[in-house]
Amino acid sequence: MEGYDVVVIGAGNGGLTASASLAQKGLNVLLLERHNIPGGCATSFCRGRFEFEVALHQLSGMGTSDKPGPLRLMLGSLGVLDDLEFVEMSDLYRVVVPDGLDVKLKADRSQVVEGLHRLFPQEREGIERFFDLCYRYANQMLAAFYFRDPDISRKKYPALYEYAFKNAKEVLDELFSDPLLKAVLSVYWGFLGLPPDRLAFPYLAMLFFTFIEFKPFHIRGGSQALSNAMVNKLLSNGGTVRFNCGVKRIIVENGAVQGIITQNGDQIPARYVVSNASQVSTYVELIDPEHVPGEALREMRGRSLSPSAFVVFMGFDREPGELGITDSTSFILSHTDITDLPYNQMRKLDINSDLMVLSCYDVADPQFSPQGACQVALVTLKFAEPWLRIPPTQYARAKYRCAEAMLSRVEEIYPDLRKHIEEIEVATPLTHMRYLGHPGGAIYGFEHHTKDALFFQPSRRSPIKGLYFASGWVGDAGFQTTLQSGASAAKGIIRELEHNGGTQ
Amino acid sequence: MTTKVIQEFDGYNDIIRDIEACRKYGVAYTFDKDSVDQYINRLHPPQLRLRVSDIIEETPSSKTLRLVSQDHYLPPFQAGQYIALVLEIGAIRTSRPYSISSAPNQTGYYDITVRRVEGGLVSSYLLDEVKRGDILESSGPAGNFYHSPLFHSRTMVCLAGGSGITPFMSMIREVVECGLDRTVYLLYGNKGLEDAIFHDVLHDISERFENIHYLPVIENPPDGYEGHAGLITGNLIAGTLGDLRDKTFYLCGPQEMYDFCIPEVEKLDVPARRIRKEVYGAPVSICDYPGWPQEIRADDVFTVEVHGTATVEARASEPLLVALEKKGIVVPSLCRSGECSMCRVKILSGKVFQPAGALVRKSDRQFGYVHSCVSYPLEDLEVLI
Repeated sequence: MEGYDVVVIGAGNGGLTASASLAQKGLNVLLLERHNIPGGCATSFCRGRFEFEVALHQLSGMGTSDKPGPLRLMLGSLGVLDDLEFVEMSDLYRVVVPDGLDVKLKADRSQVVEGLHRLFPQEREGIERFFDLCYRYANQMLAAFYFRDPDISRKKYPALYEYAFKNAKEVLDELFSDPLLKAVLSVYWGFLGLPPDRLAFPYLAMLFFTFIEFKPFHIRGGSQALSNAMVNKLLSNGGTVRFNCGVKRIIVENGAVQGIITQNGDQIPARYVVSNASQVSTYVELIDPEHVPGEALREMRGRSLSPSAFVVFMGFDREPGELGITDSTSFILSHTDITDLPYNQMRKLDINSDLMVLSCYDVADPQFSPQGACQVALVTLKFAEPWLRIPPTQYARAKYRCAEAMLSRVEEIYPDLRKHIEEIEVATPLTHMRYLGHPGGAIYGFEHHTKDALFFQPSRRSPIKGLYFASGWVGDAGFQTTLQSGASAAKGIIRELEHNGGTQ
Repeated sequence: MTTKVIQEFDGYNDIIRDIEACRKYGVAYTFDKDSVDQYINRLHPPQLRLRVSDIIEETPSSKTLRLVSQDHYLPPFQAGQYIALVLEIGAIRTSRPYSISSAPNQTGYYDITVRRVEGGLVSSYLLDEVKRGDILESSGPAGNFYHSPLFHSRTMVCLAGGSGITPFMSMIREVVECGLDRTVYLLYGNKGLEDAIFHDVLHDISERFENIHYLPVIENPPDGYEGHAGLITGNLIAGTLGDLRDKTFYLCGPQEMYDFCIPEVEKLDVPARRIRKEVYGAPVSICDYPGWPQEIRADDVFTVEVHGTATVEARASEPLLVALEKKGIVVPSLCRSGECSMCRVKILSGKVFQPAGALVRKSDRQFGYVHSCVSYPLEDLEVLI
């Protein structure tokens, strides 16, 4: 069987950027994907006249061509920008409390501060300080670690030293007294997977910073367009891709990768393997136990699985405005608890006052759905555990019951919604488990408690020689970070090869 | 260096203690080896091995194959869904989707009902060759043609043509066996009365249950036939239903039926969102399809180079998928109607014809991917599988 320099397992964001980067550098790359379509989370599916976006709500790190963000620079160096169109969103988000507050946060620092001042005048000072802190933290973080300052000190980077290991709630409590404002400013926890009292503050700070500095974006044609563009680049750089081809085993001998065995039993030699599969299945299912380093298992033991999601995808035969949908990203907030209540809600099957996000791509991009129509993804985070206990014959009923509860909730805000549904599809944690292959259907890899933040994450390079990781499991989750994870795994391999003298 | 720096960050020691404790007493992921696949297999096993436990003659041209599991488990399905049988007939490995006609409230067996297609490779095989006790391979249940309680009406208007009755048989069985609060109007079109599959069962159910209404519509009725003759027209639908509001329409049957019935339903001012249509295979005579280039004849033959492996010949009127299968090249397939994208391939060079309605993603179109079950060569091709 023909050998490759690198076999990449999985065509999710990390696998795609890793394989496209390595092929660009002239390596002989084989990308293997279990499904018939690339993307992992970054994909779409068709129902009737709609093509539903699966996972991308707001793309961070893009910026404009005049002021490019890190993601735009990376996609540019991969050469895929010409194949794609990005649509800027002017707002961070809207927060709606049924029968209560309704606030819109602009993706502009002074406007967001002003808007919040008007609604929360008594919190004026705290609001200024909050955004100032997010910015200071982000700038110090970037200067110290991204630009690799050789001389890091508390004097130079006070925010970094003080806040790196705080959780988001501690910071909100320090600055605000109004629980509603704290809840409004922390709804982005829905994009990170953990309520503010558990979530490391740096994640919230970096997200506000990057969305305000580089704006939230959407991709014309959805995230599938990005995944397809990436495969296209891989092919034009001489790489090979195989769909409908899962991997059964990573062959390891004497602590070093030798190749892989596909689900059909084909043995393919390779010098390097990049795993875009979860870290859990890579170590537990793909590698024979005697070759799995104890330190890797021990490290993994300390982590817990992030939640999965329950999603209702809907296509309507009306434009967003006709349904009362005026925003791309709307969070529906039903209580101001940012501690145990939301966490416990994620652990339950039923949906009540859970935090929800409603994304309507047609607001920023009227061409997204067919003319006169629009689509919505309505999401709440849920752990898979209760779903695993449902007998198979009861599954459809549970799925409809939860979707119904979610729909009734949003009908309080958009009363005409149900009358105009033309297509609907529901994804449960089991659906995510099925299509991602992740334990617990986890959509954000491991949880991001303060103890799991950036500094404590394992290296992309496994202790097994020749094995690299590129995913939200080793490193942070989300589109920007997983896309970057593949590029940096590729960089690691190139560096290693150069160090060993030449690419052949 | 990073390690040394972060040791001075506020709260570092507490975090290290947490990390150590969690690593010592944390989650043993190795215990859950293979659990993801196991859980998913309950609902979506990658393949099923089915034994033909019974063969029931339905009409002169159709039979029901009753299929039980060879592995002691059949996953649940929603009434209206199908399974795709994977068959090896001679040297050809191919698949065909069949709606399950038995009720979803029991999974002791799946019934599929097969009607003979003139010159059909698979239907002839299933009707003439397969016998009781044979083992067949299939996909798990799939498809999107079912009643959704989230936005469909409680009154279902089902328009069936020929073997398109099968998903409705499953739905009606579920409604009556489970006592669901739903009303069903079934208008079932056939050329002759003898072609109407399940006629006696449906007639009997409609006699016993007042929420099930069954109207056979016969195109060429025998002399003296007292039922509805002709086609399923808008007038017939309106006359049967009276009030058309708050009803969801479901259609399943051959393309000619859709071409005729959908405009008829639309004439009644039924909004498109209330009309659900099951996919029903590739068009029978693609050369008559709107937009087919006149200069290409059905029996024109082109060469298809499968990147890096083989070259095959393909007729213009034959889906690319079928041409590949005939040469022993397996492309996974499921719906074979352009909907599910299982048989997605990339066209590296050359042109294909794709009928309207194939659900190809926008960016797939941009980068040259097609669903090979509904793509017809118009030139010599190079494809990437």
